[in-house]
Amino acid sequence: MKRKLFTGFLLLFFYSAAFAGEKILPYPMHQHKLGNGLNVVTVPFDSPGLAAFYIVVRVGARNEVEDGVTGFAHFFEHMMFRGTDKYPKEKYSAILKSTGAAANANTTQDRTLYHMTGNAARLDIMFELEADRFRNLHYSEHGFKTEAGAVKGEYTKNYASPYQQIYEKMLNTAFDKHTYKHTTMGFFKDIVDMPNQYDYSRLFFKRFYKPEYCTIVVVGDVTPEKVNKLAQKYFGDWEQGNYVASVPVEPPQNGTRYVHLQNGAIPAYLSMSYKGPAFDDTKIDMPALDVLSSIVFSRTSDLFKKLVFQERKLRFLGGGAGDSHDPNLFTIQASFVDKNDMQYVKDEIVKAVEKVKTAGVDGDVLAKTKSNLKYSYAMSIDNPDRIANSICHYIMLTGDPESLHRLYALYDRVTIDEVKMVANKYFIPEALTIATISEDVEGGVK
Amino acid sequence: MRKKMKISIFAGLLVFAVSAVFAQEVVELKMANSNKIVVKLMFRNGSICDPAGKEGLTVATASLISQGAAGELSYSEIQDKLYPWAASYGAGVDKEVSIFTFQVPADFAEDFYPVLRDVMLKPAFSENDFKRIMTNQLNYVEQGIRASSDEEYSKKALEDLLFRGTNYQHMKEGKTASVKAITLEDIKQHYAAFFTRNNVMIGVVGNYSGRFLKRLKKDIAQLSATKPVLPQPGKARTAEGVEVEIIAKEGAFGSAIFTGAPLSITRADDEFAALMIANSWMGEHRKSYSRLYQKIRQARSMNYGDYSYIEWYDRGGSFQLPPAGVPRSSNYFSIWIRPVQIAAQLKKQYAELADITLGHAHFALRMAIREFDLLIKNGLSQEDFEATRTFLRSYTKLYAQNPAAQLGWLMDSRFYNRKNYLKELDGLLEKVTLDEVNKALRKHWQTENMFVTIVTDTSEAEALAKSLRENISSPMSYSNLVKSGLPADILAEDKEVADYKLNIKSVKIIKSADAFQ
Repeated sequence: MKRKLFTGFLLLFFYSAAFAGEKILPYPMHQHKLGNGLNVVTVPFDSPGLAAFYIVVRVGARNEVEDGVTGFAHFFEHMMFRGTDKYPKEKYSAILKSTGAAANANTTQDRTLYHMTGNAARLDIMFELEADRFRNLHYSEHGFKTEAGAVKGEYTKNYASPYQQIYEKMLNTAFDKHTYKHTTMGFFKDIVDMPNQYDYSRLFFKRFYKPEYCTIVVVGDVTPEKVNKLAQKYFGDWEQGNYVASVPVEPPQNGTRYVHLQNGAIPAYLSMSYKGPAFDDTKIDMPALDVLSSIVFSRTSDLFKKLVFQERKLRFLGGGAGDSHDPNLFTIQASFVDKNDMQYVKDEIVKAVEKVKTAGVDGDVLAKTKSNLKYSYAMSIDNPDRIANSICHYIMLTGDPESLHRLYALYDRVTIDEVKMVANKYFIPEALTIATISEDVEGGVK
Repeated sequence: MRKKMKISIFAGLLVFAVSAVFAQEVVELKMANSNKIVVKLMFRNGSICDPAGKEGLTVATASLISQGAAGELSYSEIQDKLYPWAASYGAGVDKEVSIFTFQVPADFAEDFYPVLRDVMLKPAFSENDFKRIMTNQLNYVEQGIRASSDEEYSKKALEDLLFRGTNYQHMKEGKTASVKAITLEDIKQHYAAFFTRNNVMIGVVGNYSGRFLKRLKKDIAQLSATKPVLPQPGKARTAEGVEVEIIAKEGAFGSAIFTGAPLSITRADDEFAALMIANSWMGEHRKSYSRLYQKIRQARSMNYGDYSYIEWYDRGGSFQLPPAGVPRSSNYFSIWIRPVQIAAQLKKQYAELADITLGHAHFALRMAIREFDLLIKNGLSQEDFEATRTFLRSYTKLYAQNPAAQLGWLMDSRFYNRKNYLKELDGLLEKVTLDEVNKALRKHWQTENMFVTIVTDTSEAEALAKSLRENISSPMSYSNLVKSGLPADILAEDKEVADYKLNIKSVKIIKSADAFQ
């Protein structure tokens, strides 16, 4: 016993010492704000000849506040490849091809991300292409209508998965007012109607494709001087906008909600989504929940060992809160060997969380979890793309890439009492939505 | 101290001796600035080594090694041990190789090493782990492949059709009856027979010490001494005309299409670089500037994307750049047409399409094959050749952006008897001429004899089969919204495509539950 305690203490000491005084991202982030408010972040990284050029626009499905236009941020991401007067789409494609870059874009609830990774010596043309479309996008009404079909095609391919179907239903059930109610793809009826929304698309561009919504991130074989000069040259006289979407606040939930998909083609499935907090790099809530999710639901947790390894009731168990701009969901997911175990597993999950509420968590496990979080991150950032992606994630949340460092500093400070506190604050039945898939007509989980 | 020194010198000699006898193949990539170490062990042992009736055995063996107890520790005790270090490991199996990948922060290399050693040398093959793993593998072949992604489904179904009757046919996970037939004893025997010191290549990248590598080489030399008899990889069949299998699935939202035909060359052949230029122009993976994408998605908005391939591209829906670790010596070229609309959905969406009886699959297939025919007939232009070559010489440098990928591509190079494929490829691309590209595409591509697989809704299957079988005209059914703005050249081309004759000789409909059996 003594030996165990001593080892635990040593571990605690070692893990907290490992990154002591060091920033989790060991490369300096150079920030430079242009006169129009456009922030430019440069991270020099040892990747000879290679640079990742990202633009994160802080607009996503969250900003789709009007009826009938859900999925528009994502649709607009598609439209950004439809050309300008100077570079109509064929010319744009030809020049992009000539850069030899890996270029694409994607959209989430809180942001739209455009990225090009390629030859650092071609950074000038990358800047020119991006600045041109961000400032002068021009597409025909026919081009707009045509692109809507590709979005429907994307929905069609995604919809093949029952997990995607239940996710869509679950969000629609869990939220009443907030725009997190719909997926990034949007409601299908709105996707079918997209070709009719040409005028709205022009308005959307005017509202959000403005310097105050965007941040440029360049990582790789570059210097901040060079990047800032290019940013000034191509984006310096881009005019600011003034639109702010009024995103509805979600009222408190006052009872457990249920949603079910009858489908016997996949193993029975259960998700439990609790209303959680927004990301905030000044509050302990989200870091404490991240720690809790790892301790209670990761493959080293007692619950996982019991349900997956020992009893073999589950094929999979996982849980966690996604970082987001506004309060979102903490979701626990389970995939079953036998659908008849759904109620038992749900009760076991609740029991595990209740235990944290009263008894807290083991101090040794807490130290190991903090170590895991840091080493996981440290090992993940091994090329310009991954670093740029990570930085853009924090820009999405707060506008400031330094949130990354503030978050990891908070992880260091999470105490057993704080893990207890968030368990009591967020894991309440009134704020729960249970989603199930099985061959049965009803989910049957109480 | 002195004693220790002696032992390590002795160990060094032993490694030398072992290397000489077993010709241990090692790929080293030392990176002193890296904060981690990645070890890859590539076995020349893939799903083609599965015995008949036990298809899925190689995957089951690799899974049990990588997700089971080892040495004195249970699998969950191993996970506990790795947790604070965020170290991890796993296995990937393909047709001809199985790869174990271990990743650890350099800070914990010494503590981690015994885990790596025990996982490879002392897998416990416990009954409990076996049951857990086999339940999941069985579920994948029974349900997972049919119910998760229709695109992946049609891709695997194409391989089943192309390689029917060979050891390349079955999904690496196996099929329902064969997975049920696998026993724990089979796995133990397969490990001893095929995961041996005689068919393994060691790869290591990152900030590792000489001692770490020396010990790794020495321990890997302790694997089974059996010399595995590796079967000849099955070759893709040549279709008799265009042979179509339609998989009819309840509740499919669209029609997911794959088509392909044998290809006799691989990365091992210099000519591959020439074909790569033609393929990139025609259908570079996930790129908007390739021909198929522009014709089917961009101009007509029929789906999310359309691409072509001259080698296996693992999990194309998840990757933008080709992953390493799936080298193959049997090859085929293929076209991926992402799900297009079916009649039942179009009718619901647009009043003007209330009378249609067929969705877009036949038209899309005609269009894609016609584009190949046009390229084979006309060849690539000088301008397109130059632009595509310039693109590829830059783009292929992005394939290996992080240490693990660099190591992976180097190890794959050895599979193809190359030293550094990506570097050699650049030299080949630099030298290749337009004439060589056009010769290569005419030599290796044809559309008269192809296999086609389509996963679609049960409501669409019969009409689609009839349309294909009888070569019925399949005019594109646009919504009025899109149709009204289409330029004359697109509409004229649509007419040609609608009646474009495919050399279809057989069309079969298979129930989803009967696929892969």
